[in-house]
Amino acid sequence: MAPRLNPLTTLTAAAAVLVITTAAASWVVSLTVAAGAVLLAGVTGAARRVFLAAGVILAPFWLSLLVMHGLFFPEGRSVLASWGPARVTTEGLGFAVDMGLRTSAFVLVLLLFSFSVRVPELVAALATLRLPPQFGYVLASTLMLAPIIAARLEKVRQAQESRGLVVGKGVGNRLGAVRLQMVPLVLGLVHDAGIRAQALDARGFRRTGPRTTYTQVRDSPAQRGFRIVAVLLAAAAVAVRIAASLSRGQA
Amino acid sequence: MSQPSLTLPTPGQQAGRNRRLLEILGAAAIAATFIYLVLTQPADIAGGLGSVSALVAMGGFLLGAVLLIVGVLPTLPTSTVVLIPVALVLNIVLGQLMGTSGLPFYLDSIGTVLIAVLAGPAAGAATGALSSIVWSLINPTVLPFAAGAALIGFLAGTAARYGLFRRFYFAPVAGFLTGIVAGVVSAPIAAFVFGGTSGAGTGAIVSAFRAMGDTLLAAITKQALISDPMDKAIVFTIAAVLVYALPRRTTLQFPFVRRYHVLAGKEPAKRNA
Repeated sequence: MAPRLNPLTTLTAAAAVLVITTAAASWVVSLTVAAGAVLLAGVTGAARRVFLAAGVILAPFWLSLLVMHGLFFPEGRSVLASWGPARVTTEGLGFAVDMGLRTSAFVLVLLLFSFSVRVPELVAALATLRLPPQFGYVLASTLMLAPIIAARLEKVRQAQESRGLVVGKGVGNRLGAVRLQMVPLVLGLVHDAGIRAQALDARGFRRTGPRTTYTQVRDSPAQRGFRIVAVLLAAAAVAVRIAASLSRGQA
Repeated sequence: MSQPSLTLPTPGQQAGRNRRLLEILGAAAIAATFIYLVLTQPADIAGGLGSVSALVAMGGFLLGAVLLIVGVLPTLPTSTVVLIPVALVLNIVLGQLMGTSGLPFYLDSIGTVLIAVLAGPAAGAATGALSSIVWSLINPTVLPFAAGAALIGFLAGTAARYGLFRRFYFAPVAGFLTGIVAGVVSAPIAAFVFGGTSGAGTGAIVSAFRAMGDTLLAAITKQALISDPMDKAIVFTIAAVLVYALPRRTTLQFPFVRRYHVLAGKEPAKRNA
């Protein structure tokens, strides 16, 4: 297996690709980037998870865009069909496809990053960026807590059901059921957090200064160079786009 | 405060001043981005993708959010830092729980408001921004809304600071006002970065305003002004219910709650006075 890349390298690559895609503002580039992300997901074996997550996000988004701009686009001139106030225009459809493809590229690239990165490595790599160590703690802790809290909510629900909680049809009944589950959940979590805070404080969590980590993150001059090039390319793309828009504005 | 440490040097004034500078820069970046977007929007959106606006919206708001996080996070007490991950998960889990209740609101900031009430505006702002950034690992489309989420946390904390959570009926009012501000700030993101909203219901409202001939930003702002204040009023009410359900022993652990007498009830006996 190929040696794993430094998380900062993949993060920089994803961010640079997104900035360049946005600056390019062309559906061809967006489509190419989205296709590239799909291809990479296939190669790295994260395809199933990426597609599933992206589908859940993108399907309603595309639907909403097509209805919104496909039927109602007051700026559109070439009308293809119209029913009463709704007019299907070429410009509206074009705008919907442009935006949809750009957002698809955005979602696919970022999901590919987040599903391929290992969180402990990311946290260790972020610590080298001189970000506050609390940031890494929050990031890692959230991702670890999510399944625990979901399981806890399930337990609270079971406990309340065994005490006779039945979710009825009325809004008041449903809200009451939500309250019966939320209050014990939040109570327990805040209490746990208090205990964790004492334990962390006792271990010098708030101390400033350098910290050591058990996780060794691989880095190489080549990767460092790649990161600098990626940032420069993204900056150049933004500069070109701003220059183009300025010259168009003056013309 | 605590005695100076005898073993390690305590962080000096300089670090504190740098942090304050970062916070101010972050807030300035968010404000400047918003003003730029509102001023330049009419010419831009009709000409196609509005690429510069999208770049400015994403870059400026994200930069502001990150600066706020870096400035605020090290100043928070550990009891607050430890609560932030819990709040982030609550944002997601309680949002989903409300989803199963079949009510038409998104309610994805309950945890943020909870932290803001317990730990103050700065903690609320950092929690909101962090929430968007961490959540974006699962759903990348929330990433550009980090500044709006930070604003919600900040305003909730400010409302708590001035005693709006002491009376039960003020909490929804504060939420309503917060929703107006948050909706107006988030609308340019939805318009310029995504070209619309993702929900079917919100999409229908935007379409209705578009059919009346509004620009995209105007239509999305009006939609946000319909959905957001209601949503935030409910979120603030739920957060108030949760805070009052917590034992006083727990809520009074937070210096912010004690100092500004955030919650109704008798003043606790002063230990050191």
